[in-house]
Amino acid sequence: MFKVFSSLRKEYLLLINDKVGLALMFLMPLLLVFIITIIQDSAYKMVNENQIPLLVVNHDAGKEGDKLVALLKQSGLFKIDSQDAVPEKSLKSELLSRGKLIGLYIPKTFSSGLESNAADVSNILMDDLGLERDSASAEKVSMPTLSFYNDPVLQENYSFSVMGIIQSYMSVIENSLMIDRMYTTMDLGGQSEALKKKMISNRVKINQIVAINNNSTAIPNSTQHNVPAWTIFAMFFMVVSLGSNIVKERINGSFLRLKTMPTTFMLVMFSKMAIYVIVAVVQVALTFSMGIWILPELGLPKLTIPTNLFAFASVILISSMAAVSYALMIGAYARTEQQANGFGAISIIIFGAIGGILVPTFVMPGFMQFASNFSPLHWCLEGFYILFLKGGSWQELKNVFAFLGIFILLCQLATYFKLRMERII
Amino acid sequence: MTEPVSIEIQNVSKKYKTAQENSLTDVSLNIATSDIFGLLGPNGAGKTTLISILCGIIPPSAGTVHFYHQNQLITEQERKSHIGFVPQEYAFYQELTPRQNLDYFGAMYNLNKEELEARREDLLEILGLARFADKKVGSFSGGMKRRVNLAIGIIHKPDILFLDEPTVGVDVQSRNAIIRYLQEINNAGTTIIYTSHHMSEAEEFCKHIALIDHGRVIAKGDLTDLRKAHDAPNLQSLFIKLTGEEYRD
Repeated sequence: MFKVFSSLRKEYLLLINDKVGLALMFLMPLLLVFIITIIQDSAYKMVNENQIPLLVVNHDAGKEGDKLVALLKQSGLFKIDSQDAVPEKSLKSELLSRGKLIGLYIPKTFSSGLESNAADVSNILMDDLGLERDSASAEKVSMPTLSFYNDPVLQENYSFSVMGIIQSYMSVIENSLMIDRMYTTMDLGGQSEALKKKMISNRVKINQIVAINNNSTAIPNSTQHNVPAWTIFAMFFMVVSLGSNIVKERINGSFLRLKTMPTTFMLVMFSKMAIYVIVAVVQVALTFSMGIWILPELGLPKLTIPTNLFAFASVILISSMAAVSYALMIGAYARTEQQANGFGAISIIIFGAIGGILVPTFVMPGFMQFASNFSPLHWCLEGFYILFLKGGSWQELKNVFAFLGIFILLCQLATYFKLRMERII
Repeated sequence: MTEPVSIEIQNVSKKYKTAQENSLTDVSLNIATSDIFGLLGPNGAGKTTLISILCGIIPPSAGTVHFYHQNQLITEQERKSHIGFVPQEYAFYQELTPRQNLDYFGAMYNLNKEELEARREDLLEILGLARFADKKVGSFSGGMKRRVNLAIGIIHKPDILFLDEPTVGVDVQSRNAIIRYLQEINNAGTTIIYTSHHMSEAEEFCKHIALIDHGRVIAKGDLTDLRKAHDAPNLQSLFIKLTGEEYRD
């Protein structure tokens, strides 16, 4: 027992003497969680809570352009800056100089084009119904095109969201014009209001429901996403401390010295694993505490811990084991500390990227989504998301345990064979 | 009456997988109990390979090695409790203090807490490390690190001590302290197997030697007898006479 205690104590002392490793394992995750959560939360609020700043240049000769601007204003989604004196060709430079991210240009023929189109639709209907219509040919104006300008830094999906909003208001205007035109053709002018109201107010509503299990009380938000994701990233970053620690012991001969002593090398490995699993658990405790107590103080959402605590603890444990096993393997194969640090850190960033830590896997192309299955960070993240965002059960976690179990086994075997080849074991 | 033997090496050969030639060929030696036995030879002669085989770090490709304790053959596992190994490298933790290093390695030698504490403090005092016992070894001079390396190898009072160039790169004071202490423990009964490139140190320290070159034992026996037999005034002359003057890299 004294031997086990001494071995654990040695690993602990080596750990606390590695100041860079400690900073990477404890300060980095706190900073990452703090910064990324704030950034993502403000982006979330920008779309959902704040008004979108929109530069509008309305050159429409009719009144439909004004109607569109009024509808956009009424929606409350936009903070409109009307600059009708700006010519279209200088709208780009105006947008950039005013620091606006989005601009909308309404052309001169906007109203006439829409009215012409409404007349065409009305005529087709009258013909189909066999009703008389005014056959005097009006001047045809082609369907107008709105121009949507956006700053190049603006994310594509954000631009698409705004264009979608404008498009939905355009539908209101177009439908309204068509109804007016048809009523006028049928000599029912002035009676179209009731129909227009009915059509506009009685549209299909979309009820958003987050697909979580009934027993989950967690609401998906930037904290629920980021705290687990960056904690996993930090866990795997222990490769820098543990990996270089193993390389040092291999190179300086202390592993070989141990081979001449009446002890088993398994004790060394067990001690390292035990200490670093504890490190990973402390990392989780620290970052999750930050999510529960510090982030809400900054106006960010509070982290809600899953209700299935046993499953939660199991996911933490298997994720820690995966991180430790990977670090052991890197330590066994690297020839120098620089190799362990460099390759270890870069490989974690790559695993993080393909595993969905940096960008969610669902936005990745198909082959990258397939590749994410080979990232241990993906399965750790999946485990946390099942618990944190979906309120998942053991049944849903079985793939996570299976894949991480295989990963741990492969890393341990690879470590064993390398140390055996070097005659350390 | 023959002297009791601690180590019996019979026809040991070693060829590394990637090597073209044997590192050791047909080495046979008997090392008597309480002897100070010098394994001497130029660079690449095979000294470290032989010590590594004796310590159980690598297996021989052929031949056998037997260890005896009080004239009884001991198993490979038992051997580990009876030997101490002081490698050429600083094989310990530079981030830890001498006290922490001794605590760890002492526990690995199965010493209990009380034994370990008493022995640790003795060694720190004897080897002049007591004042620095709580400073990190990484900040020590070469001589101090050598003494820490030695202290780890003898913390459990081994019956047989292997020393691979224990005084390389140290100042005269540290070398004297190390050699003096090694002589003390030898007088107390410890068998010492020692390699060095310091011929004058080896001459002063060793009772018996084996000269190894190109993996073969080219001379072995009592140092005085060997000098007389080869008409050499000192060990260095004997060494040059038997191994030649060409560079060994």
